[in-house]
Amino acid sequence: MTAANEAYDELVTEVLPAHERYLSRISKSFTLLILFAIIIVFALREGSSFFNARNFNDIIIDSSQLVVLSVGMTFVIIAAGIDLSVGSILVLSSVVAAQVTIALSGSPQDIAKFQFPTQSVGIPIGLLAGVATGLLCGMVNGLLITRLQVPAFIVTLGMLGIALGFGQLLSGGTSVPNVPPAIQSEIGLRELVAFDVGGQRVRITPPVVIAYGIAIVAALVLNRTRFGRYSYAIGSNAAAAMRAGINVKLHLVKIYTLSGLLAGVAGAMDLMRFGTASVGSHQADNLAAISATVIGGTSLFGGIGTIGGTVIGAFIPTVLRNGLVIARVQPFWQNVAIGAVLILAVYLDQRRRRAEERM
Amino acid sequence: MKTVERFDTTVSRRTILRASVYAGAGLTLFAPLGFRASARQDSFNIAFIQGVIGDNFYITMDCGARAKAEALGNITIDTQGPERFDQTLQTPILNAVVQSAPSAIMMAPNDRQGMIAPIQAAIDAGVPVLCVDTTIDSDIQLGDVATDNVQGGRLAGRGLADLIGGTGKVFVVNTIPGVSTTDQREQGFREAIESEFPEINYLGQEYDNDDANLAAQITAARLQSDPDLSGIFGTNLFSAQGAAAAVREQGLQGKVKIVGFDAGPTQVQDLRSEVVDILIAQHPGDIGEIAVQLLHDFLTTGEPLDPKDYVTGATIVTRDNIDDPEVARYLYVADCANYTLANAEPMPAASPVATPTA
Repeated sequence: MTAANEAYDELVTEVLPAHERYLSRISKSFTLLILFAIIIVFALREGSSFFNARNFNDIIIDSSQLVVLSVGMTFVIIAAGIDLSVGSILVLSSVVAAQVTIALSGSPQDIAKFQFPTQSVGIPIGLLAGVATGLLCGMVNGLLITRLQVPAFIVTLGMLGIALGFGQLLSGGTSVPNVPPAIQSEIGLRELVAFDVGGQRVRITPPVVIAYGIAIVAALVLNRTRFGRYSYAIGSNAAAAMRAGINVKLHLVKIYTLSGLLAGVAGAMDLMRFGTASVGSHQADNLAAISATVIGGTSLFGGIGTIGGTVIGAFIPTVLRNGLVIARVQPFWQNVAIGAVLILAVYLDQRRRRAEERM
Repeated sequence: MKTVERFDTTVSRRTILRASVYAGAGLTLFAPLGFRASARQDSFNIAFIQGVIGDNFYITMDCGARAKAEALGNITIDTQGPERFDQTLQTPILNAVVQSAPSAIMMAPNDRQGMIAPIQAAIDAGVPVLCVDTTIDSDIQLGDVATDNVQGGRLAGRGLADLIGGTGKVFVVNTIPGVSTTDQREQGFREAIESEFPEINYLGQEYDNDDANLAAQITAARLQSDPDLSGIFGTNLFSAQGAAAAVREQGLQGKVKIVGFDAGPTQVQDLRSEVVDILIAQHPGDIGEIAVQLLHDFLTTGEPLDPKDYVTGATIVTRDNIDDPEVARYLYVADCANYTLANAEPMPAASPVATPTA
């Protein structure tokens, strides 16, 4: 087992990553060019109302949850899978986090008076409970996919309904009220670092640190560890990976667990940013995460992809939406523009990649 | 010779393809910008952030706002909104709108709690915010303009009581527990029936999770347990449509009267085709007009609103009065071509919770 692993590690280090790293570096920089082009267009058209530090700060904060979901999705898609349940897992996790927080922050009488004597216990345990909920849902996804051999598309589509349904059951179908405001004021909106750039206040808040911290760790895991290499190998050719001695099923369970875990983290971030768990939100987050991943150069057929590309891919629609709103474009035209740019970005990326392969 | 020709064709095709791709890119990035409304040259610019785009209720509100802005002369309106009723979609739009530095924002917040911090950030950036239709659990906003939903519910109760001759059994198909607007409609309905019509037996409410199919199932079950049911109040579009479907399936159309809420084109069609018997129309156009008037006054004088809360009324729409111009002007519109300025006057709410008597 270990000998086979080492042999395979050597093989992929020798052959695969060199090739793939080269390709991914190209595609990453190219997607980055598209992002820069969009920024330049809006900067020229809208001037300082778009091109200012505060606006970019807002964009970074607004995209933090999508970045976390998309990082998980990148692992899943690199391993040639799909996870449609992330938005629902996010909602269920934030509902669980909110309710555990409330239950542990004081007696029902205290809560009714909007007082939270034990919130210093309730909030951290509540947030952890949310993250654990996500992890559990992801693990169930992975086990069903590998043990029952049901396609990931169907299992995660089922989980989309199940997790949302449980979220609605727990919350009674509405936003969870009476969440201690400290979760927002002391955590979600806390200015860890704040400085002025050109008279604009730039704030680094915990959601930003969490999102980009996760992205950096994930990039290292994907590039530098056995876990990452196995993910590429399974996505490239699952049968070959199995013959090379990789425990493909176990690895897939880990990957879907990771995706669920990150959805749980995004749920906790939702609670700390908005101070409430809203079951009506995040219905299209799965598609947003998939499109961010694919724009970022990850192949839907597996085996290719980078975290850096995904982060850029998450930014492209967010920056576009932001710029189009600032440009006062009618909302329906915004959808047309964003849809068209997504297709264009992936087309140009693929074209470039084919050209590189021919060389 | 032939090969050269073929070669030429290939090149030109590729060139055309390439050119069209870049042209497409250029169009995509620049063309929509040509559709921007005229802005930034007038004294005040108000940004209207709808609760959700493409909804007749908010479209009518937008028409009211624009008609009032045109009448006042020195105000332009820019309208934005999320694709779904979702705070995580509305927040980035609010942030971007703040960056475009409007004089003020009028918006329908997507969550009572979740939108507090984003609205606080807008206010911190120096943009006053007025809440329309929905609100937040806070008093940081400039003020609120909204339908008095309790009053709307009372009108539904009185309208239904009239229709069934002041006697019989009635029940309510509600949407989702905890939604303030529909809960208030049920509250008003219950109050009117219990206090004004002692002969009517109110059987209580059921929830349909905003699903017409479930509303039909609930209504069918209720018709089994109470075959002598006289009337149903569906608190929104799907509730009324679902109740109506069940009533028709049991062949009780006309015998069991149905009251629906809102007056968009779909609801009006339902009324005309006798699916429902009464509609309660909110006055979203009035909300838009009053909001712009209040913001105009605030922007010109700098005086904070006093009082802060304003309510608009509701109108009973029946097949008999729907063509009466006084009623027809409250039907919601799909575009602003047919909207005429109503010159609605701001009406302060009697109490901060907005529950004045009729």
